[in-house]
Formats: sequence, structure tokens, C-alpha cells
Amino acid sequence: MATLAREVAAYHAPRSRRAKEARRHALIYVGLVPFLVLAVFPIFWMLITALKQEPDLYRMDVVPFWFHLPPTWKNFDFLFHRTFYGDWIVNTMSISFWVSAITLLTAVPAGYALARLRLPFAENLGIGIFMTYLVPSIILFIPLARVVSTLELQDSWWALVVVYPTFTIPFCTWLLMGFFKTVPFEIEEAAMLDGCGQFGALVRVVLPVSWPGLVTSVIFSFTLSMQDFLYSLAFVSISEQKPVPLGVATELIRGDVYFWGSLMAGALLVGVPVAIVYNLFLDKFISGITGAAIK
Amino acid sequence: MSELPAAGSRRPEASLSVAVGARVGVASWWRTPTARRYLFGYSLLTPAVLYVGLLVGMPFLFSLYLALSDATVGEPIARFVGIENFISALENATFYTALRNTLVFTLGAGILKGLLGTSLAFLLVQPFKGRRVVRALIVIPFTLPIAVSVLGWKWMFDSQFSVVNWALSNLGLIGGYGSADWPVWLGQPGLALFSVMFVNVWRGFPFSAIVLLAGMTSVAPEILEAAKVDGASFMQRFRKIIVPMIAPILFVGSAFDTVFTLSDLSIVYLLTNGGPDGATEILQTLAYNTGIRAGALGRGAAISLFLFPLLLPAIIILLRTLRRRQY
Repeated sequence: MATLAREVAAYHAPRSRRAKEARRHALIYVGLVPFLVLAVFPIFWMLITALKQEPDLYRMDVVPFWFHLPPTWKNFDFLFHRTFYGDWIVNTMSISFWVSAITLLTAVPAGYALARLRLPFAENLGIGIFMTYLVPSIILFIPLARVVSTLELQDSWWALVVVYPTFTIPFCTWLLMGFFKTVPFEIEEAAMLDGCGQFGALVRVVLPVSWPGLVTSVIFSFTLSMQDFLYSLAFVSISEQKPVPLGVATELIRGDVYFWGSLMAGALLVGVPVAIVYNLFLDKFISGITGAAIK
Repeated sequence: MSELPAAGSRRPEASLSVAVGARVGVASWWRTPTARRYLFGYSLLTPAVLYVGLLVGMPFLFSLYLALSDATVGEPIARFVGIENFISALENATFYTALRNTLVFTLGAGILKGLLGTSLAFLLVQPFKGRRVVRALIVIPFTLPIAVSVLGWKWMFDSQFSVVNWALSNLGLIGGYGSADWPVWLGQPGLALFSVMFVNVWRGFPFSAIVLLAGMTSVAPEILEAAKVDGASFMQRFRKIIVPMIAPILFVGSAFDTVFTLSDLSIVYLLTNGGPDGATEILQTLAYNTGIRAGALGRGAAISLFLFPLLLPAIIILLRTLRRRQY
């Protein structure tokens, strides 16, 4: 269709360039509108719900897309004063910190070794490590429940610190492998001529120039952890130990009563920053997992 | 050659031949730069390999063992029961419902995501004003944490105050609340399965589109121009260039998407938890409810292992493409 649009435009009698461009743009925008509405409307709806007063949510006689009572921060207030939301944020941050640390400490050396040291079987080892990213949590969560209880971490967010690296390490090792391959060999050679050992060259020269790769790894340790639901659901059941997505999804529903306003507030408050960060790094995610097919 | 610092050589054969070469005795081989590099390399690899080995490899094998045992959450000592768990799963009517729903869900949603993603990619590949903004907005469903967006949908599918129903009702497509054609999205069996699939499609279509887009932008224009110069018609170009070029990318994208879909339970768990009456029960929720909620670890593990054959084709496709990856 990409070319179809151009073709259709070219077929008609040549008008001015500008008219043709305008027509092409119009066609594209018309095509995009349904997708945009589909993608963005739920977010808009969640946002407006989070800011509405309770009675305003349950009126079907007026257009629901705008406020009929003044907007309110009450739902956000409720989260921080009547629930463990503050704890959940602290838990999420702590989990992200430790998962990032574990991921960096293991994936950086592994990625470097696989990319730079010309080890026998490096290629297959790299693929092997990445394949573990594809073993889904749904197959692992039951045996891991045993591991978690053996470590006596059940019902603590530390369980998730142990478990999340099972997908962040494979992903980041793979990502960093690609990254280290782009660092020129010459700077490492130069460092070694200046008397650094192999390890010294890694720490003093390769790592400093690879900081974008390291930042990307930290970002993915965070965003991939935030996408988890199953592990936290299975391993953490104490209210104040939960990370935000689980807490919001399980603690703000009491029986059949849904606190929609604060549910949406709690979901968005963490969801939106995650989405923005992930958005900025999405291309790296895509090229990380599909490098093969696209290059 | 062997005297040079190993990392300085850019020809792997050169140093490898030294490593293999018998000219250097075994005792002193360990002191060659190559040997030192290997030792250094494998010790750098050890932490990562150990971590995934202990927490992915071992648990995977352990899940096979659990599936063959009568392990429960409360009872630490498990007895070997052979394939009893698999048999009891196969004798359970709910299991078949779950299996059928899993297949319908995965395939149906997969096809929809492919179609929507492809059409969207064709739109986004063209140059137009505001493309970056549009792209950033359209990938929102994929980047939001899944539990967060599912909650939004739960509210939009509310039985009484659904905004979807409000819109449909005001467009005159359905009657008011309480009328016979008022859809209860998560409460009517057929609609409920449709709704959970819809949320999965909503979340996944930007991913398909972006994967395709990345593939299209990396090769498309030059080849298409060349074909045009050579006099290929639009249909020829579409059939001979665009389709073969896109098919493998779509394949890989779908394979990843299948893995994501089959490993997710949050959509169904949070929207319907398998209801009404098992209409949306999938293997993932059945495994969770059996293994963790009811505490029958062995039976839960057996059910989740039934997902493995479904995942296998996707994993094989990915393994094959990863092997062909160019550096």
C-alpha cells in the first residue's frame, strides 16, 4: 500500500506538487486515524477516570469523555494515604535497582567475552544464553516456586530480585554482545600496548566507551521487570511487599467493589513513565531480538 | 604470531592454529596468550551461565520431575507417580476447554495482529509529517506494563458503565442498559473470549508493525526503485519483492509474539479469570490455578508443560534465524 498510494497519486493528471503532497498526506492520515484511536483512547480514558470524582464516573446520560464535576486529585490522595502504594513504589524501585545490578555484573562480562575474546563455541553459547529468554515464565514459575521457598524468600520482594534476572540476563547479554562488537579493536590494543592487561583494557577503555550499552541494559532490566505479572502474582502475596503492577491489580479491588478512580490513578502513575522510557528504547529492543531477520 | 598479544590479531584462524598446533607442548600451552585468553573469557562467562543454568535450566528439568510427581505446596516430600498427572489432565474436561481456547486465542489473535500490523507498517513506512509522533503514540499499548493496561480494559468492559457500550448505544447500534442486546463483554461466553483476544491484539499489533517497519526500511527503497526502473509493474513488485521480503520478517515477529502470548496469563487472569463458566479458561490460567492456588505443584507443572509443544514451532523458527544472524 505504501507504493499504492504513490501510484494512485501519480496516475491522476499531474497537478501541482503541493496538491499531490497534500492529497498523499490526507490519505495517510485517514488510514492512521483508526490505529491512533485504538492505541491512545484507552490511555485517555484511564487518565480522565483517574481525575474524575466518583459520581461523575457512573453517569450514562451525559457524554463521558469530559468532566461534569470539577476534576479532583482525590484518587491519587487515596492511593498514598489509604493503601500501600508508597511501599509498592519503594519495592518496585528496590527490585529494579538490584535486578539491574545483578544483570550488569553478569551480562557485561558475558557479553564482552562472547563478542571479543574469540572463544571456541562463543556463537552457540551466545545463542544458548539467549534461548533461555524464550523459555516462558509460565513453564518456569512452578519449579521456581520451589526454589523461592527453599531460599525462604516467599512473600518478600527479594524473591523477584532472584527471579527477574532469569530473563534480563539473557536479553542483556545478547544486547551487549552486539554492542561490544561495534567497539573498535584498536582502542583495546592501544590500552594493552600501554601496559593494561586484558582485564584492565576492559575496565579502563572498553567499558567507558560502552556506556550507552550499559545504560540500555539498565533500562531494559527496569522495563522488562515492569512487564512481569505472573512471577509477582505467584511469589508475593503480602500486601506491603508487592511491586506496583501487582499491588494495583490485586489490592484495590475489594470483593466486587472496584475503586476505578484510584485503580486508574495507580496504574497510570507508574505505567506512563515506564511507557515513555520504553518508547525511547523500543528500537533497541526490536533490533536486539530480531537482528537476524532484519539485517 | 603466537608472540603477539592475542587480542591484537584480527584473524581468528591465526591464533586458533597456534592453540591447536602440536608444536607447543601441552604443559606450556597453558601459558600461551591464547590459553590465558580462553581462561579469562570463560571465567567472565561463568556468572551469567551459572545464573541462567541454575535458575532457568535446572528449574526446567525440575518441572519435568515435578510433573511426574505428586508434589504439593504444603508437602515437601514428593512421590514419583509417573505420567499420572498428564493422564489426569487428559481426563479432565476443563483441560480440553483450556487447550481449545489457548489454540483459538493464540492463532486468532496472531492472525489479527499480523493483518493489523502489516497494514499499519505499510502506512508508517511512508514519509509524512509527524511520523515520529504518530509512531510514538501507536506503540503505547506495547510499552505500557501489561497489568496496567489490562486494568484499563477491565473498566472499559464494565458490565454497566462500559464506555464502549455508551458509544455503541449512542450510535444507535445497541439499546440502552438492560435491553436484550446490551453486551456484557466479560460476562457472556462468546463475547468474553473475543474480549480477551481483543486486548491481546490491542497490545500486540504495534509490535508486529514496528518489527515489519524495521525490516521494510532496512532494504525496501533501493530494490523497489531498481525493479521499477527495470519495468516491473506494481503487482509484480508486490508479489515478487514486497511479499517475499516481508514474509520472513513477519514470521520472526509472529514467532516472538507467540512466545509472548503463550507466556502471558495476566489478560485472562485479570479480566475474567477463566470465566464465565470456563469460556476463557486457557492453559496458563489453568496451570496457575491448579499449581499455585490449589497447591498441586505436580499437576500444575504437567499442565504448563502442555504449552511446550505449542511453543516449539516458534522457538525453532527463532533458533534458525538467530543462527543466521550476521555480525
